[in-house]
Amino acid sequence: MIHITRFFAFYIFQVLILKRLSIGWEGPVFFNFLLYPMFIFLLPLRTPQVVALFSAFALGILVDMSYDSLGVHAGASVLTAYIRPWVLGWLEPRDGYNVNYSPNKARMGAPWFLRYASILMAFHLVFYYSLDAFSPVYIVDILLKTLYSFPLSMIFVIMVAYIFDPEA
Amino acid sequence: MRGLLQLFAAYGGFLAFFLLEATSLVLIVQYNHRQKDIFNNSWGLLTAAAEKQVDNITEYWGLKARVLDLQARNIKLMEERDNARYSTAVYRDSLQADSTAPMFTFIAANVVSNSIISANNSLRLDRGAADGVKPHMGVISSDEGLVGIVRETAEHYCRVMSLLHSQSRIKASIRRNGYFGTLAWNGGDPMRMQLEAIPKHAEVAVGDTIQTSGYSQIFPKGILIGKVESAKLGPGENFYTITVKLFNDLSKVQYVYIVDNLMRDEHEELDRAEDE
Repeated sequence: MIHITRFFAFYIFQVLILKRLSIGWEGPVFFNFLLYPMFIFLLPLRTPQVVALFSAFALGILVDMSYDSLGVHAGASVLTAYIRPWVLGWLEPRDGYNVNYSPNKARMGAPWFLRYASILMAFHLVFYYSLDAFSPVYIVDILLKTLYSFPLSMIFVIMVAYIFDPEA
Repeated sequence: MRGLLQLFAAYGGFLAFFLLEATSLVLIVQYNHRQKDIFNNSWGLLTAAAEKQVDNITEYWGLKARVLDLQARNIKLMEERDNARYSTAVYRDSLQADSTAPMFTFIAANVVSNSIISANNSLRLDRGAADGVKPHMGVISSDEGLVGIVRETAEHYCRVMSLLHSQSRIKASIRRNGYFGTLAWNGGDPMRMQLEAIPKHAEVAVGDTIQTSGYSQIFPKGILIGKVESAKLGPGENFYTITVKLFNDLSKVQYVYIVDNLMRDEHEELDRAEDE
């Protein structure tokens, strides 16, 4: 239930507030605040992968509709949801996960969550800007845009993690 | 159905991922102008590259027909040359217009097998009696130079005695002054032959071109064979010992022409009369 609430909360926050903060469109200087991938980060560990993929796709499509870029956010979100199990595998603590919980700050601790969210956010941004540019010709632009947007997006992820800090 | 469900249970994550990602890509290309342009452009480049590859392959398939076509054109040109025609111009009361009749024609053939290492080498060609090939016809290379003389023919193949054969004797002359001798091969180097029976009063220089003399009726006159590499006159000898470096490399000959003398029967008739 809380995840459905979160789904819409992230969506509304993303399209109503963060969208207005984005600056610039063409050129290498391009700041974009993407917070909604945090929904994917916080999905419970026992979520079946198919469910995770479909909810990521749904959230991406909704965001796309507001950003007028149908498919770009959805494609990036699906990729992020797809690689999440591998990232979780790399970061697995010595005594394993408790599959009933979400991998969040309250359960896993701040340093772990920061690493986990950073890796996934970096992937998500690379995916997003790759689909946005849609050609390997723009690889430099893709990486520069990722570099600029990464800290800005992470600031919001950290803020949300500290302000709400849910246990579920 | 059960198998399908098992498949979905095992690969459901990947299938869902694939499906959703494909949907996203389709949506991106369908509804975003910039990405659509990039996609169309890339797709155009890809199909152009693919078409070019297909063109290359079909061109390769077309090569065979092209070789046949070029061989036919070459034969036409060779037949038009003076050395392949019989001159019918005769001085009677007044000089008649210079006119010629065809004397030599050519049959294009491919080398099926070849050897150069033994003392008596032979080749096999993919043309035979069915194509009009008869024993004692000459064989010339599609580049420059001679290849050999047909020995036996079968229905579709013929065996050619190579120039590089201990019994090969070709009537050859020096292009510059017309002195003629016999070209033979003493084994060894497949690029060099010996020109014998050039008398000692003839003037021979290194670098002189050797051509067919046309006396044998096997080869037309004036086909280039090679260049004089060295000419020696031993003390008390009446004939030069001349080494000729061949123009063509018999170790890689691939396309040849078989020389057909249309007036061969007349020469054979005269030969018989001479023997009697």
